[in-house]
Order: sequence, then structure tokens, then C-alpha cells
Amino acid sequence: MADVAASGMPSREFNPWPATILVSLLCLAVLFLAPTAGVLLSSIKTTREIAFGQLWEMPDKLFLGNFAEILNNPAVHRYFLNTFLVTVPATAASIALGLLGGYVFSKLPFRGSDILFLIIVSGMFFPPQVILIPLFRLFNAVGLIDTLWPIIFVHTALGIPICTLLMRNFFSAVPNALREAAILEGANEWQVLARVALPLSLPAVAVLATLQFTWIWNDFLWPLILTNSDNKRTIMVGIVNLKGQYSVAWGVQGALSLIASLPTLIVFLFFQRYFIKGMTMGAVKG
Amino acid sequence: MERSARFWRVVLLAAPVAVFSVLVIWPLFSSFYYSFTNWNGFSSDYDFVGFTNYSKVVTDKLFLNAALNTVVWMVAAILVPTLLGLGLALLIDSRVPGGTVFKSIFYLPICLSAVVVGQIWVWIYQPNWGLLNTVVSAVTGYKLSYAWLAKPDTALGAVIVAWSWQQTGLSMVIYLAGLTSISEDLLEVCEIEGASVWQRIRLVIIPLLTPATVVVIALSVINSLKGFDILYIMTGGGPFHSSDTLAMHMYNESFKKYLMGYGSAISVVLFLIALTIIRVYFRQLKRVDEIYG
Repeated sequence: MADVAASGMPSREFNPWPATILVSLLCLAVLFLAPTAGVLLSSIKTTREIAFGQLWEMPDKLFLGNFAEILNNPAVHRYFLNTFLVTVPATAASIALGLLGGYVFSKLPFRGSDILFLIIVSGMFFPPQVILIPLFRLFNAVGLIDTLWPIIFVHTALGIPICTLLMRNFFSAVPNALREAAILEGANEWQVLARVALPLSLPAVAVLATLQFTWIWNDFLWPLILTNSDNKRTIMVGIVNLKGQYSVAWGVQGALSLIASLPTLIVFLFFQRYFIKGMTMGAVKG
Repeated sequence: MERSARFWRVVLLAAPVAVFSVLVIWPLFSSFYYSFTNWNGFSSDYDFVGFTNYSKVVTDKLFLNAALNTVVWMVAAILVPTLLGLGLALLIDSRVPGGTVFKSIFYLPICLSAVVVGQIWVWIYQPNWGLLNTVVSAVTGYKLSYAWLAKPDTALGAVIVAWSWQQTGLSMVIYLAGLTSISEDLLEVCEIEGASVWQRIRLVIIPLLTPATVVVIALSVINSLKGFDILYIMTGGGPFHSSDTLAMHMYNESFKKYLMGYGSAISVVLFLIALTIIRVYFRQLKRVDEIYG
């Protein structure tokens, strides 16, 4: 064995690159993980330990009091429920609308459809501040401020550009012959969409579901503007509200951040493939 | 056939177009309208004040300060994640062991919310026990208790670092996707011809990554223009407005001071900036399409 290795080696020079790359990646990975590790560590430490500068040391024992505090706080339950009540319908609605739009733009183009498509997609680029005040006034006028409804509506509308873009690009890859065959068989457009296109488009729907769920769950600006009372807040605004209550209880804040990120972390872990695909698909093919 | 197609177009497009028009297009134009009024956010009536809000924009020292900060914020928030993401993508693409694990580690922050990211970094910059001061103190042996976020000189820069930490993974995955489309043969030929690693990256790989770069920069522009949450959480635009951006300034004027008319004028300016960038972007995209097909 030793002979074989020895006779094999001399012909090749020692290549320092793989080792250098691995070491630099390891260093960068530690740097990148440090912030997240800080939250993890804080969540299992007492306020006393953190204040005395022991946040960044490995703990000798697990302190679960912070998690108990958060999980027993009824306000947190409320925030979680509200966030689900906003995120799930808004995700579903924006995908459904994107599906309809994407199908027409891809399979039933008409004069001016390119321009309409461009207008819708450009909605992706605008800072939300541009539509903030009129929407605030609109929802105020119809008495929906301080309910969950306007948040659902706004996120549904703001999801239309990306969902339409992705669905159109996806449907463009589906052969037209498939649709034409179904039409010849006597199906109407709705039946083609529901029975042929939709089952085929499930991968794209999965991509959009992961993207939309994460974005809407994590959103801060809209619930901040559109709700006032504590029992209508979503989790991200809730975190900021509870900051006052737990002002120096950093460990509790850390546990809260972790629990609030749990749904998106789970989505990320299980659907990472879709997530990355969505980011690159929506982006690379404009 | 054509008649039924027309029917289905209307039926299928009705819902998405209606929702988008009412909740995105109409408010867009509405913002222009309110920017000529002095609406205060509560009362049902308001007066038309002509261009008063716009002349205020030009003379408002805080607006100019916010505009300047927005430029700094955007340039940094575009350059840093793009360059870092490119670097990481090149390193990971070199087939190191554990490439997927590294990819996940660098990508993880993107699924955290701006609120959580902001809070994490507030702790890192915490003067007494934050990671940054702890590490600096340990390395230099000199006890540092600098309050990074409370000093006008460092507040904006500190937020930019946090922002870059979150956004780098996004540009990295797009660059990784771009790298897979570069042919192995081409790189092998370069190697045989005696091109050094650096030459290969600079003269072959980076030019071939141009489409990916356009996408990365576009996404960075979009995201950084929207960058409000993280500033709100980490500094609130302070101290002394040193990290105020236009989005932040607009929020403060509209929802803190209830000057909704003036806030609308700021949002119109923000919109015009976005529009300019979009136009430049689409033109670039077309050029890239023409060159790279």
C-alpha cells in the first residue's frame, strides 16, 4: 500500500489550493454562524449570566426558563395565531391569482399582454412606502384598520408580481400541444387549467409557497402600520412590543426570536431546494 | 375559437388584475395626489397646497441627510453582498468537501426576518457583553466598550454589516447557479493554456457570470430600497438621524409626525428613484440578452 501511494505521488506536485479553500471557508462559516450561535446561547442562559459577560461561553447546564416564560405567555400564543391567520390565506391567495395570470400570459397571449405583464411584474420593484399612505387611508375609511384583513389583502396583492412571473415562466415550458389536445377533446380553458396545467405546475407552486410563506411570516412594516392593538399584532411586531416587557431579559428575547423564526426555519430545512430554486428561477429568467 | 379565448382571458385575468389594480396601481397614483395636500392622517378633510410639500423636500435638511444616507446605504448594501457572494460561490464551486453544508450555512440568514436579524446584531454590538467588543478586548487585551449603534460615526456602517450578513447568501446562490452554466471544457482549456487561477477568474469566469451579476445587483437594489425594517429595529434612524434613510424619513414624517401629505411627497421621490433604477435595469437586461442570448 505504502509503495503504491509513494509511487503515485511524486509525479504530481503538492496542490495547496484545496486545503487553503477549505480553511478559508471554515473560517468564514464560523464568522457567519457566530450571530445565530449567540441567540442560541442566550436563550439557554439566565439574564445574570449574560450581564456578567458569560454569553459567549459554553453553558455548563441547560437553562430552559426563558423558553418556559415565552411558551406560557398568552400574548405570544395570540401573535402566533395571528401570523398563521395572515400568512396561510395570503400565501394561498397570491399563488392562486398568480396561477391564473401566469396561465393567460403564457398560453393565451393577446395584443398588449406583454405590456400588462411588464406592469404587473414591475410591482416587484417598488418600495412599499410608495403605496403605504393611500392604503392606510383606504382601510381606515372602510373600517378595517386594526383587523387582520388588510394585511392579508396587501400581501395577496404584493405577491401577485412574483407569482405571475414564476407561473408564466413555468407554463411557458409546458408544451402547447398538451393544451391543444385537451381543447380538441372538448375541454374548456378552465378545465385545461385545473386538470392539465395545475397538476403539472405543482413544483412551481411548491417554490412559491415556500417563498411567500417566509416573506409574509417575516414581514414587519405592514402589520406595524395596519394594526394598533396588541391582540391583533403578528409575531414580528410582537417581538418588538415584548422588548419593553423583557427589556433586560435578553435570554427571554433570544428564546422569543428563536421560536418566532421556527416556522420559517422548518420551511427552510425541509424545502431548501425549492427555496433556492425560487430565488434563482424568479431571478435568472426575467 | 378566438371568441372563447377572449372570454376566458377576461374570466381568468379578472381577479388578479382587479386585486393588483385596487391595491397596488391605484395607491401608486393616489400617492401623487396626496403629495399635493396637507392631510394629517386623521381628519376627513384636507387642503390642496400645491407644490408646498415638494419645495419642503428641497429645503428640508433632514430629507437631504436621508437622501445622502440612502445613497451610502444602497451603494454599500449592493457592493458588499455582491462581492462577498461572488467570493463564496467561487470557493464553494471549487468542489470542496462539504460544499452543501457550507452553502446552507451561508444561506441560512436569508430565512430569518429583518426583526430577528436586527435583534441579533444589536446584541453583537452591545457595548458591555456584545461579541464584537468581547473579541476585540480579548485580542488586544484592552477593554473596549464602544457603543457602535449609539455613535453617529458607526451606526449606519454597523447596520450595513448586519444587512450584508443576511443578504450575502442570496447573491451566493445566484452566482452558484450561474457557475454551473460555465462549461468545464472551457476552464480546462484555460488551464492547459497556462492561465493562472486569478487570470481564469478575472478574464473568463467573471465576464461569463455577467447575467448572474445583473440579477444579483437588481435584487440587491430592490431589497436595499425596501430596507426599512432592519434600520427601524437597530437604530430607528438615529442617533441624531445619522442612519436615517428615505424610507425611514418617510415613515417618521407620516406616522410619527402625521404629516401624511409631506410623507406622500417623500414616497413619490422614492418611487421616481425606483423607476429610474428599473429602467436602467431593464435596458441592461436587454443588452445582456443580446450579448449572451
